[in-house]
Parts: sequence; C-alpha cells; structure tokens
Amino acid sequence: MAIKDYLKDAIEIGKAMGVTLKHLAQPPVTVEYPFEPVPVYPRFRGRHELRRYDNGLERCIGCMLCEAACPTGAIYVEAAENDPEDPVSPGERYAKVYEINLLRCIFCGDCEAACPTEAIVLGHDFAMANYHRRDFILTKEELLNPPEPNVIIRPE
Amino acid sequence: MAEPITLTIDDRQVTVPAGTLLVDAAAAVQIEIPIFCSHPKLDPVGCCRMCMVEVETPRGPRLMTACTTPVAQGMVVHTNTESVRSVQEANLAFILANHPLDCPICDKGGECPLQDQTLRFGPGVSHLVEPKRLAKKHYLISETIVLDQERCILCWRCIRYLEEWEDKPQLGLFQRGNDTVIDTFPGQPVDAKTSGNIIDICPVGALTSRVARFDFRPWQVTRTPSICVHCSVGCNLRLDSRTHTLRRIVGRENMAVNDQWICDKGRFAYAWVNSPERLRYPLLRRDGRLVPVQWREALEYVAERLHTLREEHGPDAIGFIGSAKLSNEAAYTLQRFARQMIGTNNVDHRDGGDVAAWPVGIPALAHLMKPQYGPDPQVDTVFLLGVDPSEELPILDLHLKRSVRRAGMRLVLAHPRRIELTRYRGPYLGYRPGTEVALLNGLVKAVLESDAELPGEARERAEELAQWVAPVDDALLQELCGVDPDTVREAGHLLARSRQALIVYGPLAARGPQGPAVRQALVNLAAVTGHFERLAYVGLEANSQGVRDVGLLPHRLPGHLPLDQTDGVRRLEELWGAAIPTAPGLTYSQMLAAAGDTLKALYIVGADPASERPAWAENLEKLDLLVVHELVETATVERAHVVFPALGWAEHDGTFTNLEGRVQRAPKAVTNPHTRAAPDWMILDHLASHMDVDWPYADVRAITGEIAQVVPSYRGLTWDALGDQGVQGDVDAARPRPKLAPATQPPLDPEPGHPLVLVTGTVLYDGGNLVGRTPQMRAVAFPTGAGLHPEDAATLDVAPGDRVRVVSPHGSLELPVHVDDRVRPGTVWIPEGLADAPVGALLDGIYPVPVRVEPGKSGE
Ligand code: SF4
Ligand code: SF4
Ligand code: SF4
Ligand code: SF4
Ligand code: FES
Repeated sequence: MAIKDYLKDAIEIGKAMGVTLKHLAQPPVTVEYPFEPVPVYPRFRGRHELRRYDNGLERCIGCMLCEAACPTGAIYVEAAENDPEDPVSPGERYAKVYEINLLRCIFCGDCEAACPTEAIVLGHDFAMANYHRRDFILTKEELLNPPEPNVIIRPE
Repeated sequence: MAEPITLTIDDRQVTVPAGTLLVDAAAAVQIEIPIFCSHPKLDPVGCCRMCMVEVETPRGPRLMTACTTPVAQGMVVHTNTESVRSVQEANLAFILANHPLDCPICDKGGECPLQDQTLRFGPGVSHLVEPKRLAKKHYLISETIVLDQERCILCWRCIRYLEEWEDKPQLGLFQRGNDTVIDTFPGQPVDAKTSGNIIDICPVGALTSRVARFDFRPWQVTRTPSICVHCSVGCNLRLDSRTHTLRRIVGRENMAVNDQWICDKGRFAYAWVNSPERLRYPLLRRDGRLVPVQWREALEYVAERLHTLREEHGPDAIGFIGSAKLSNEAAYTLQRFARQMIGTNNVDHRDGGDVAAWPVGIPALAHLMKPQYGPDPQVDTVFLLGVDPSEELPILDLHLKRSVRRAGMRLVLAHPRRIELTRYRGPYLGYRPGTEVALLNGLVKAVLESDAELPGEARERAEELAQWVAPVDDALLQELCGVDPDTVREAGHLLARSRQALIVYGPLAARGPQGPAVRQALVNLAAVTGHFERLAYVGLEANSQGVRDVGLLPHRLPGHLPLDQTDGVRRLEELWGAAIPTAPGLTYSQMLAAAGDTLKALYIVGADPASERPAWAENLEKLDLLVVHELVETATVERAHVVFPALGWAEHDGTFTNLEGRVQRAPKAVTNPHTRAAPDWMILDHLASHMDVDWPYADVRAITGEIAQVVPSYRGLTWDALGDQGVQGDVDAARPRPKLAPATQPPLDPEPGHPLVLVTGTVLYDGGNLVGRTPQMRAVAFPTGAGLHPEDAATLDVAPGDRVRVVSPHGSLELPVHVDDRVRPGTVWIPEGLADAPVGALLDGIYPVPVRVEPGKSGE
C-alpha cells in the first residue's frame, strides 16, 4: 500500500473526527426525561383541570354538558344548589361531584368544547401512570388542584 | 253529533270532528305546528302567537292562530309558507329577547320546548344588543316548586291549570307590558294538592321541582312507566332513574285513571326509595340487640321457630299481618303462607276484616271524569259517605271538581267534618259520628216518601222497607244525627232522581262493630234509588282493593271466596296441596289485641302497628316471635326478633289494583346496590322451602299467573297483557246480589264525662314514615294537633296553640289545639299518622269513641 493511501485515509479520519469534535461543542438534543420537562405544543391535550375565577369561585356550574359530550362516558357529574351565603360557584348551581375516568378518556377535548364556562380544560400534563385503577379516576379535588397549574384557553 | 269536517292542511286532506282546533287537526296527520300556550288538556287562550298558520280566505291568505281556530268545511291551511316562517322567527326572537341564557343550569334544558322550537323554527342569530329584562329568579312559590320569572314566557298554562282543574286560582299575571310577570298572590303560596302538575306543563324551565332540583338531566335518566303507591287512585306515572337512584317522578297519561295529572305526594314524596336508612341486612335479635346475619341463618331460625310454636300452641297461635301497600303478589303469597304452611286464617291487614267493605270499588273512574276533549261523565251524582277525596284520594278530587264545574255533576256529601268539597253546591250532611245507619235510613225514607218510582225488588218490598226505616223521623235526624231533615230529603230526592248516581263509602264510615249495619243500610239505599251497580267501597291505600281480592282477609279466601264455599275451597286446597281451616281467623285489631296473650307469634309484612297504638306496641313486646318485613326502621322493627329487609315498589315487579279494580303494573325501575333486601314474595318462598315445601314460583310473574287463576275477576290477566295502562278486572263478576234487610242503628252509649266524639281520618301530607323522608314534604305536613270547633273551644276556654289532653276511655294524648270551623261542633278531629300523635292511643276498635278535652300543662 502506498503512502499516498495512508495519507488519504488519515484525512478521511480527520474529517470524521472533525464532525465529531464539532458536535462535541454543540448542546445535546436528548431530553433527560423525567429529570427535565418535555416541551409540548400549545394545543396538546393532556390531563384535565378544572379552573376557578380570579375570586376563587369555581367556574364549573355542574351543567353536565361535558358528560353529555364525552364520547366514552368518562365523566360523571352530580350537581347541587349553591348556598347563597357561601357559594361554590357563581349562580344557582355547582358540581357536587365531578369525576373523570382517565382509563376511558381518549383526550379528544370534546368536554372542553362543550363547557359553557370554560371550566374543564385539557392541560399539558401527559404523565399519568399510576399503580391502582382507582387512582385513574380524577376527583373534583384533584382536578381543581392540578400538580402543575398550566391553564390554557385555546383560541379554537 | 255534527258532521265531520274535511279540510286541507299543506295539500293533505284531513277529516276530523266538528269543533276540532286546527292544531289538533294538523297533529292528527303528523303536521307539526309549533305551540307554547296551547295544551291538549287546557282551554285555548291564544296568547303566545307561536302557532300562526296561513288560512286562505275570500280576501286572500290570512294568518291565524291554529290553537284557537276551529276547523271549517273546505278550509285550506298552509303551515309552511314564507310569511308563516317569518312570523315564527320573529315571534321566537321576541320571546328570546327577554329570555335568560340559563340553559346550562336550567332543569328544563334537554327537554325544553323553547330550545327545541328555537332550533327548528328560530332565527339562528340574535340581533339583541340591549340588556335583557331582569326579574325575580329562582324563588319558592310553594315548598316544592321553584319559579324563575325571567324564564317564563307568559303562556298562562300554570294559571289555567290551577283554575280549570284545581279550581284554586293561586297564580296570576302582575304588572303589564314588558314588565308582566307570573307570581303568587301576596301571602298565599301555592298549596293546591296537585300543584306539581304545573311543572310538567310549563313549556320552559320557569317552574321546576325543588325536590328534584339539579338531580338529573333529561338525557341521562332511564324512564320506567309505573304507578303511584300512595293512594288507591293508582295514578300512572313515570320513574326517572340514574345510577341506581330515583331522580324524579312525573305524571303519565292514562285516560281511564288520572288523565295525565298526579298529586304532589305522588310526585315529590319518593326520597324514601333512595334513603340511606333503608334496612340492608336480615337482622336477628341476639342478647337483646338486632344484629345483621346471613339470609340463610335468619330464614332457618324463623322456619324452626314457626314450626315449634305451631307444634306447641297450635296453628291459631300464629298470626299474619300484611298491608294494603303490598303488591297483589306479596299479599297473595302471604295469605297462602298462612293458610298452607301454618294452617291458620289469622291473616289480615289494617282496614281489612275490621271494616265492612263492599267487595267492589267504583265501576269505572272514566265514568266520572271530564277530560278536555271527550264526552261528559256518565255519572251525574256522587254520594260520598265518610270519604274526603281532597285529603285521601287527590286525583279523584280533581276529577270530581272538574265534573261538577264543567258537566254539572252533583255531589251529596256526608262526613263528620266539613270537607273541602263542600265548597260546591249540593247537600252536605255533617252527621254526628256513629249515627251513619240512622242517617242512611233517613235517606231511604226520604226516597220512599218522594214521588220517585222505585226500581225492581225495592218496589215489591216497599212496605217492608218503609217499616224498617219508620222510626227515623225528623226529630231523630235532628237530635241523634245532628243533620237538617230538609237536607236529608233534598239528598234523598237527588239520588232517587239521578240517572246514574255513584254511592261511595270509605273505611271511616264502616269500621268496627257497626260496620255491617252501615253496609246494609247502604245496600238498601242503593237498591231503592236504583244505583245498586254503582255502590262502591274505596279503601285508601294503593292496593286496598287488590289485597282484598287476593284474600288477605281472615274470613275470605282469594276471589272473596267464603270459607264455607266447599267447591271453591276444594279447588284451592288441590292447588296448594294443603287443607284450609274453615273457621274465620282473627282480624287485624283482634290479632294485635291478642298478641302476647293467646297469640304467640306475629309475622308482619310492611305494617307498623306499634306506632299506631301504644297498647299494641306493648303487646308486641310480649310475643314469643315477631318477624317483620320492612324497608326502614320502624317502631315495630325495634320490637322484632327477626327483621327481613324488603324491596320497595320501585325495586321489583308487582301489580296493584286500584279503586276501580284496574290491575296495573309497577315494574322494577331501580336496583338498590346498598341493600341485600329481597321482594316479600321471595322471602316467603324461601321460608316455605326452609319448611320443606317448594312453591312453584320461578319469578313474580308466575304468582301473577296463579292469582289470575284463582281470582275470578282477574281471569286471564298476565303480566304482558296488563301493558302500561293496566286492565280492569271483571268487576261485575265480583259484585254480590243485593239483599235487602233491615239495618238498625246501634245505640250510642255516651260515656259519662266524655261529652265529645273523636273523628279521625287520613290526611294527604301526614309526615309519616315514607312522606316524612322528603324534607320538603315535612314542611307542608299536617300540623300535629287536635281540631276543635270555635264554639267548643270557647266553652272549654282554650285558644289555638294551647296544649290540651284528649282523654278517651282507652287512653289519652297531649296535643296543641287548632281551632277550625270545619270541625263539627261536639267533635275533636285528630288525623291518623301525625308526627308524635298516635291517635290510636285513644282507640280500641270500637267506634265512635267518646272523648273529653282537658287543659294540658300550660307553658312550653
Ligand atoms: S377529553 Fe374527550 S374522552 Fe376525555 S373526558 Fe373529555 S370528552 Fe371525554
Ligand atoms: S327554559 Fe329552556 S331555553 Fe330557557 S333557559 Fe331553560 S332550557 Fe334554556
Ligand atoms: S310559569 Fe311556565 S307555565 Fe306559567 S306562564 Fe310562565 S311559562 Fe307558562
Ligand atoms: S292521587 Fe293517589 S295515586 Fe294519584 S298521585 Fe296522588 S297519591 Fe298517588
Ligand atoms: S299556541 Fe297558539 S297562540 Fe300560543
């Protein structure tokens, strides 16, 4: 093998090393999930949240329209009448029970579209694994206090 | 009848009877005309202008309201032209201009005619930029009805219902123009007994139920056609349920029973079905306490004890008490159990063997109804003895009021209390309790002395009859009965002259030892007036008629078969494979009086005698064995040795027979997941198999089939044949032949020192164990107290609210006083079933009961 060939190979290796070295200086593209958050698109539909008004009153009026709109029957609502002295929501009616069964939900967002007060919205949380089936049923308590409040209203 | 009329609607030929309104003619050929104010059961007013149609006239097409325009020969009508559509759009825009956007929180949403018609006929966009009118929102117009004035579209349906059916104008229009609102009259909430019907007919969510408020959405509920079990009218209703709970009750149409109306008790008093206090497990008394056990253990225990007690003391030491609230199937199995498994005729229910009942009820409710469109009632006069429909049978009351006002029906009322129906013209006989026989004889005499022609047998035996009733002269009527002899004559003549009179009596008039004489006097009266086929006894409970028909009586077998009718008895014995004892058993009150003494064991299904009379409660404690089937804890359950949790009427299939002998289905509507309860018939069936007898019942329908086999008037009825409108049994088959006989007024023996007479009876809202579980009903419950006439109150020197002690020879009761001029002078009125007032404390089965009133402890 001629010396020329050695040189040629060395140049090739050098080129390749150059690429490697160049990337050594660039920041990595992998996300260190779960130690780092994964960015999602603004219109991503994840775990539900129930919103409140600024004065702390719940937006949900227990109208059960989300329940009616849900294609999988994942939502269960029981309504009750507000005590005018100590209302839960503005007006006459509030949700006494509000549950979403995440095992049924297909994250279609129909509930969000049906809601007349923009109370139920789908947030960005997608990490919903759990050890018990029971824990997949989100109660009103959990929905009102999501782990990371990230309230978004989609301009759809 | 006028000629039928043929007209053209949207190019279709329609032929309808003259007088039909255009809306109904269009509906007959499925052409939809939107309406709001028009209602098929109310008079037309034409106030909402929604039903505009175009009618061709010689002067060109005209817009007219279809709900007020009667059809005419050759009329040409268009419902879908440009101008009709633009009027519909404009009209809806007008209505919506002041309508709040409440749909998401409105209980009507989802079944709202305004929503539906806006979608179908409305403009689609709103042009409104100005603020909407504001008015009073969600406030109570009664304990059970919520009014939202903003949602009201001023259709007057509610106003018209209360006027045309209830004859209680309690809602009106106030203000004018844009500010017009519906409201109650100052200080007068709506208290009509059937007011809830205005919720059903309101075309928007202006009137909603407070009891069912926010409990359901129309699209969620399962709708089960059923019937009401609160009284013997047997109104048809619909049970709406969701997630194992009953969410609301609404009326259902049955033109032979309730038109489409139901009373407020039937509509609102259902909370007991879902009550968390329902019994969940069989309970067995151990060391003085009732503890939950398995079914098997409880059944084995009862089977063993019944067996031993029967061996030791004989079959007649065991008694069975049912209830007229039970279904036919439960009552039938109970009496079969008593007769076959134990071999006793000690089987009865409250107002069963203690009342001298007539085996058949009203020939047909339809004969006294006046529907909006339909013929006048056949019956032209109704004689009520000891029945107060307004408190006891509210929908019968509604029919009577309507027929009196719209068809000229006449009422003859005999009641020791001036009942609500006395507000209508007609003779009222406010007799002294206990003098029923004399009064009826007086009526017979009045008929004999009138110029009316006597029918059949009565004509032949007129002289004999005249002899029997001769002692009843004016003086006697006046002094003994306390009625005006002229009114008696007027009533007698009215009955004699009427084409078809209905003669109805209730348990109040025929309880106790004098009952048979009252019944005989009624038979005589019915025979001399020619209305024998229309003599009726009405029990007050949902299945009063049915439990009698299926033999829950100590002296009658199923089908009202007498115990000595050997042929029939033999057939039953073959069917049951057991000998039936021939001696009549003890009645309800006799069993309870003998309990703990000669009676060693009682098996009680769905009754609560312990709360009825303190003396009975004590007797129950002395029993060797007390078994109770119940829904919730009661005073009787507290004293039981074994308690079986039972299912209620909404939770399993059953049939009930109403006061006209109509057998109706009450199918299972909800499943109660919180209780291990079982249907009454099934408990008895299992008990029988623990006693080594297998009954052939695979399901409840098999029992219905057996009943149809053994009760002649039910022949051929099957669960499927009953459908959702029920089938009336063959009432004529059950009616006995008239037997004329003298009826003698038993002497009244006034107890010295007890100058007054006690009057009891049923009130609709009694705050009892079932009604009281609906909190909103508790607020309207009849207040506990003793009613006195103002004169008596003055003599006794008591004022309303004072506490008094009412003393009878059998006991005493302390109560506050109501002063009420509807109470007859000389009587004290204490209804049954009031909270904390067991009027039974004053009774012992003898009627009438003399009492005296003493001032009670003053203060508190
Ligand atoms: S996102 Fe879709 S499936 Fe999930 S709860 Fe809402 S409507 Fe139901
Ligand atoms: S009455 Fe009908 S249209 Fe009006 S708020 Fe209620 S549901 Fe909506
Ligand atoms: S309350 Fe209802 S029924 Fe009464 S007038 Fe208003 S809309 Fe009509
Ligand atoms: S009238 Fe009688 S049957 Fe009808 S709803 Fe009222 S209680 Fe029930
Ligand atoms: S429905 Fe005819 S005017 Fe109202």
